[in-house]
Amino acid sequence: MKKTYLRQSFDTGIIFGIVHIFCVLIAFNAMLGSLLAKIVNVTSSLTSPAVGALIAYAVILGLWAGIASALRQRELSDGKRLLASLVTGSSSGLLAAVLVGIFQLMLILNINPRDYLTNLSLPFMQACLYSLPGLLGILANFFTFLISAFVGGLLVVGWNLHGFASIRHQINNAPKNWIAKLRSGSAKKQLIQKYVFYALLFVLIAILPLEWGSYWNYVIGTVGLYVIMGLGLNIIVGLSGQLVLGYIAFFAIGAYTMALLNAPIPHNLMWGFWPALVLAILLAALAGFLLGLPLMRLRGDYLAIVTLGFGEIIRILLNSDLLTSFSGGPRGVQGIHGPTIFGQVFSDVNYMYLIILAVALAMYVYNRLQHSRTGRAWLAIREDETVARATGVNTNKYKLLALVIGAGFAGLAGAISAAMNQFIGPGDQSLMASINVLCEIIVGGMGNIPGTLLGAFALKGLPELLREVENFRMLAFGALLVAMMILRPEGLIPSQRPTLELPEETPPATSSTLTDAAKIKPPEENPHD
Amino acid sequence: MTENIIECREVTKIFGGLTAVNKVDVFVPKSSIFSIIGPNGAGKTTLFNCISGFYTPEHGEVYFEGEPLRGKTTDAIASMGISRTYQNIRLFSNLTTIENVLVGQHHRLRETWVDAILNTRRYQTEEKASIQEGVRWLNFVGLQGLGNTPARSMPYGAQRRLEIARALGSNPKLLLLDEPTAGMNPQETLEMTALIRRLRDEFGITIILIEHDMHVVMGISDHIAVLDFGLKIADGTPKEIQANPRVIEAYLGPGGAALAKKYSRNK
Repeated sequence: MKKTYLRQSFDTGIIFGIVHIFCVLIAFNAMLGSLLAKIVNVTSSLTSPAVGALIAYAVILGLWAGIASALRQRELSDGKRLLASLVTGSSSGLLAAVLVGIFQLMLILNINPRDYLTNLSLPFMQACLYSLPGLLGILANFFTFLISAFVGGLLVVGWNLHGFASIRHQINNAPKNWIAKLRSGSAKKQLIQKYVFYALLFVLIAILPLEWGSYWNYVIGTVGLYVIMGLGLNIIVGLSGQLVLGYIAFFAIGAYTMALLNAPIPHNLMWGFWPALVLAILLAALAGFLLGLPLMRLRGDYLAIVTLGFGEIIRILLNSDLLTSFSGGPRGVQGIHGPTIFGQVFSDVNYMYLIILAVALAMYVYNRLQHSRTGRAWLAIREDETVARATGVNTNKYKLLALVIGAGFAGLAGAISAAMNQFIGPGDQSLMASINVLCEIIVGGMGNIPGTLLGAFALKGLPELLREVENFRMLAFGALLVAMMILRPEGLIPSQRPTLELPEETPPATSSTLTDAAKIKPPEENPHD
Repeated sequence: MTENIIECREVTKIFGGLTAVNKVDVFVPKSSIFSIIGPNGAGKTTLFNCISGFYTPEHGEVYFEGEPLRGKTTDAIASMGISRTYQNIRLFSNLTTIENVLVGQHHRLRETWVDAILNTRRYQTEEKASIQEGVRWLNFVGLQGLGNTPARSMPYGAQRRLEIARALGSNPKLLLLDEPTAGMNPQETLEMTALIRRLRDEFGITIILIEHDMHVVMGISDHIAVLDFGLKIADGTPKEIQANPRVIEAYLGPGGAALAKKYSRNK
């Protein structure tokens, strides 16, 4: 038994050590460190990271290793759990030490590994040794892991000490108690609380765009547009169950409508923002309708392939020479005029408000539809199209309706996006963008609003925030998706059907009365007994 | 002379080289319980699919209240008042039970997506009325208090009853039940039989039944048709069917009639 738990801890440490080596070789430690450094206003870059940043990264990983190791030995005594975390710390520290040992050798022998591993520059290796000479750097690496893992073990053991029991209990139950307390009030009190909550939310939404500057307005604005698209695609994929892949084409139609009607080149029509917005939504919806007509016969994989083709056709058309004089070709359309307010051109703050309004509208429409006869018909089609038909649902009509409304959402997002960025080009309409929106609703949770919000933030907001560490975006993305599939295959927030308020019916047909009725007349005789 | 709600005239359905249903005539009087029996593969479910519009027969015609069904889509046929259940339960399993019944009511409601978005008076009243009616059907089939349970998490027998509630939601004139007591224990079977009887007696719904349990069939049917290898071999009241030598042979094999006679004499 004793041997087993020490062996387990050793293995845990080895795993963390390997993860550490991998992270160092792709300079992930420098990236995480520089993010941390940004919080305390220390400059640190990928090529020459600050020593403190790297130590902070190592401490986090070490703490994690120690906590994981101590948690794993749940049934052992406190002392043994501490020992386990120590063993884990030393084995992971050993691997870290071997790595920086190799770095030290290279530095001494003046070998530059940059040719093979682009991230390993001499200053980077120097920093990994904490800028210490000789064996000291190697030992420092080892002890960072050992000590932080031990502290991790202490944290776990300390947390479970008897003295902390009441605090632990309180923290664990805090959210539950808080909600229970909110719900315990009278109906009137609850209503007031609800209104206060909405009022606070409203004030927050009204103030934030003014305060947090144009960069944040841009980031959150983009997220907002993705929320609208996510909701639209959710109507098509999440509710009516049609896997449509070329969804970005509807966005393109909306965006180009806005662009061609409000840019000086190539047409100089200058319709103004609002009429163009309405037309953009209508045209996108019309495209959804026209695409939907031949699609009604298709299901599943075939539908996905055909819509994928549709998306590509739109993109290639926009890119082609054929339409250059009409829609600007590969160069796109520039200088799109946005809306004006009291003679002033819309500022980023105004756009933010516009997007917030549009998101609120999209959420409202989605929510109303979801809980109506229409929404239930969509869900029935998603669950079993054949049976939905035999139950009396005109499936073609409702599948078309889903496509039309979903496409309209994308048209709205596209039109606002074109006006906000004052530019639209065929490059924005790639297949990747379609897949991004689909990922957004898959990650967030198919078919519900909170999931779509979360998905948009995770897939559009996070990468935007991590822009300076561009190289790792796709890595983090991939890891996120894989982790999602394993941990939460139904999305971060899985859909739940609403609990309807059902009336109490007075004379229920209980099963006992049914049984009595069945005893009226037993069969007289039987041919095959 | 009672009026027939369903008339199948020489209905023939062919799959490749196999004639699944061969020139079958079936006349179902209004407000009766009509059973279709026969050995496995006799074409019972195929005939059901011809009536509910899943298949279009190669020859012959199905008339519902005198109107031919050829060329009508399944949803149009459902809207005319034909509802059905399935041999292997096919519920909208991720929806709650009440939502399943509400989908059943779909074609009777008038609210559109615009009503839903604008939250109109029509939307509100229809929604409220349909939920109330849905709960009544749930109570009727014995699923009271389970309205907000997801359909997939219900026990087997309850799922069968929910399928019937969903079919009832569309206010059918004709209900096609495909093996409603399959896999049920004697108690559940008894309850199901009582339920079917009440549907006819209290609501005047015509019921066509595919069933293998002879206790059930002989106990509740007004008429029975027997299919074998796609052909209708007998037609009549339960008593007549029990005495029909061709039926006994279809079930017991050649010489079965003599065997049965001998067996029943010994008894």
